Amino acid sequence: MNKTLQNKIKPYIWLLPSIILMAVFVIFPIVIVFKLAFSEVSKSGVVGGFVGFKNFRDAIGLPAFKTVMLNTLYWVVSVVGLSTVLGFIIAMVLNQKFHGRKIARAILVLPWATSLVIQASVWNYIIKYEYGNLNNILLNLGIIKEAINWRSSYQIEFIWECGVGIFVTIPFVTFCVLSGLQSIDSTLYEAADIDGASYWDKLWRITVPLVKPSLTVSTVLNIIYVFNSFPIVYTMTKGAPANKTDTLVTYLYMLNYYNRQKGPATALSVIGFLVLCLCAGVYMVSVMRKEEDL
Amino acid sequence: MNDRKTVGKRNRTALALLFLALAAVAVLLSLPAYRFTSSVYTKKSANTFVGDEKYQEVRAEVDAVAEEYRASGMEVSVSESVTERTNSKGETTSMVAFSVDNTFTRTGWSFLGAGIGSAWVLLGILLCLAMSAACAAAGTIGSIDEPYRELDGRSASFRSASYYLALIAMVLVPVFFMVNTVLMSRRVGLYIEGLLTDGKEALFSALDGFLFDGQGGEALEDMLDGLKFKNTGTVWLVLPCAGAMMAAGIQLRRGAIRHTVMRGVLYAFVIALCVFILYPYYVMLVTGFRSIAETNDSDFLHLFPVQWRFENLAHIIDRGVLRYLGNSLLIAGGATAIALLCGIPAAYAMARMCFKGKNIFLGFVIVSQMFSPVVLLIGISQLMSALHLYDSVVGLMFINAAFNQAFAIWLLRGTFVSISPEMEQAAKIDGCNTVGSLVRVLIPMAAPGIVTTLIFIFINAWNEYTISTVLISTATKRPITVGITQFSSFNMIEWQNLFAASLLATIPVVILFMCIEKHLTSGLTAGGVKG
Repeated sequence: MNKTLQNKIKPYIWLLPSIILMAVFVIFPIVIVFKLAFSEVSKSGVVGGFVGFKNFRDAIGLPAFKTVMLNTLYWVVSVVGLSTVLGFIIAMVLNQKFHGRKIARAILVLPWATSLVIQASVWNYIIKYEYGNLNNILLNLGIIKEAINWRSSYQIEFIWECGVGIFVTIPFVTFCVLSGLQSIDSTLYEAADIDGASYWDKLWRITVPLVKPSLTVSTVLNIIYVFNSFPIVYTMTKGAPANKTDTLVTYLYMLNYYNRQKGPATALSVIGFLVLCLCAGVYMVSVMRKEEDL
Repeated sequence: MNDRKTVGKRNRTALALLFLALAAVAVLLSLPAYRFTSSVYTKKSANTFVGDEKYQEVRAEVDAVAEEYRASGMEVSVSESVTERTNSKGETTSMVAFSVDNTFTRTGWSFLGAGIGSAWVLLGILLCLAMSAACAAAGTIGSIDEPYRELDGRSASFRSASYYLALIAMVLVPVFFMVNTVLMSRRVGLYIEGLLTDGKEALFSALDGFLFDGQGGEALEDMLDGLKFKNTGTVWLVLPCAGAMMAAGIQLRRGAIRHTVMRGVLYAFVIALCVFILYPYYVMLVTGFRSIAETNDSDFLHLFPVQWRFENLAHIIDRGVLRYLGNSLLIAGGATAIALLCGIPAAYAMARMCFKGKNIFLGFVIVSQMFSPVVLLIGISQLMSALHLYDSVVGLMFINAAFNQAFAIWLLRGTFVSISPEMEQAAKIDGCNTVGSLVRVLIPMAAPGIVTTLIFIFINAWNEYTISTVLISTATKRPITVGITQFSSFNMIEWQNLFAASLLATIPVVILFMCIEKHLTSGLTAGGVKG
């Protein structure tokens, strides 16, 4: 009897450190954020009583709310969409056999391994108008005659931020797709060759369907990472001018730590969290389905 | 036999094409390559309106000057430009500037003797093409009917060389134009503005000799300043000729042009991609070792620092970068240790034991991967102050460990599942308990997977920025990602220090990442990574 009880409890003991760690540092902050979102929070951070949805109404009423939400949407859609397409193409190329493939893959890893603050700082320098490296190289090569102002308006600056986002996201997509490509049984292609299938036939009938699970996983994960990406926007523009280039996470950071509007900031946190939960749900379904397939 | 006949016929056509293209190159280079326009005489006439009396007078004067030049055999034309201004009284004044322009051309061949940098490029192109033709001839003499695979080694390498030489010539053609533009426009402009002095004499006297037959004299700077040039496109036509020679080389070499072209496109794509990805790292490297003046100079001409300033490193170390690196090491190392200490038992339980709620826990693990600390920033900072871990390196360790926990469990579980439990069972029969079998048997066997997980968590924690900026307020406790921001304040960014420090922060993780790169493709999508 004692033995069976011990066996029943044992797995939970093994899980305990992990559960405690996550409960304290992951679950607890979630609870705190939810509690704050429905409480009155003063500028100095003193938490008052329950106020219902007041913080949410305040957040939605902020002048920059609509811009920030739209920016977040553009940011996520453009970065995830383009990096998925480009990453897929690059993965197809890197899956070929050629000299230097290993080197090419090692180089592709670089943006992934580099801290986003550093990446953003470097691009910030590259596109400087007065002395940026891009203008310098183009001038020296004689491709342009006069320095181009690469960041003449905030819309263009935002596009640059998206560009840097795409640059750092591509390696992840590429390696996800590569792992999918490598698991494809090569006999499928041989059989298709015997049947006289063209390159495009093979691409659409074999490659794409079989890579789809990896692509789904990488896309959903990317939505979450990109949604949460803070350093690029923060380093390159800090949301200037007037929150016109802010995304949700940089905006809530500014709101909380610079403008001291803690109430609306926590409400935005909750909104962001719920969006992520939605993505997490989709992700879980797709991963579970993949698990069943295995 | 029939096969040999077709091969021979094709090879002969290819060879003929090759020499035809070479001859075409020779012809193209004797045509005008650049058309230059420089003004030899200018006359400004104030208070003049187009068509009025004064205009007519000056115009006649300028025409006479032009006529003189024509008499001496120059091809000149007269151009005029009108500047109109309205002064404060509302009156319009107009000024007409006349200019006698000398238009002349230079052939491709003449560039060879010009004594400027592009001469060497052109020489290179010609040598490559000539040698390509020579190699093609040498590789086919006595073996023209034989396909590549039946050739002896010497002929085969000659045929290969022919192809590669033509390829190099193709690459050099755009380089020729670039060098010309840089020298005749950008470089000249910088010399005239006095922003650059080294090598001015040599370039100017070479251009004087090449363009003005050494007649520039005092007016040389003005003449070069007003110089306009346009390429006529004939040298660009060398490109398709070289392409044709390359195609012929391919035919001689393999007999499969399409395959070779596809490979060419593939390599071009990969090289372009690599250059693009390495570009920011190149910028980081060269800017990190430039002097402060050079980083803010819009006119520096050098792809590499004039002088590599390694003292930048000493300077940033003085400013505490080593301490920041140490903090990062501590935070990332601590986070990795905590994550693995908690994660390995959990992953073991998930892989080897059956219990109620296993799937719920698995689902939770997957979902918790989604919780980014950024959205929860406010909650985390409240929690940390409650735990007295605010502004503490230990607090950052725990946060990083917790947010990487899901990933650790997921990846380790995958590794453990892939290892057969038989060895552990054998160890248990020999008297090991569960902990013993895990430590002595499973962990050594799963070492590659564990190392991959370890490195991954380490890198994620090393590169973490947002939480650290919020939680750390004491300067000496900052990790490197936050530490480097001290080099960029609102009014002044010390680019050279920023990038020198960034290099130090980037190199270790990049090396670590490259070590696990080959494991990235296996089991990556199953776990889902990147922080």
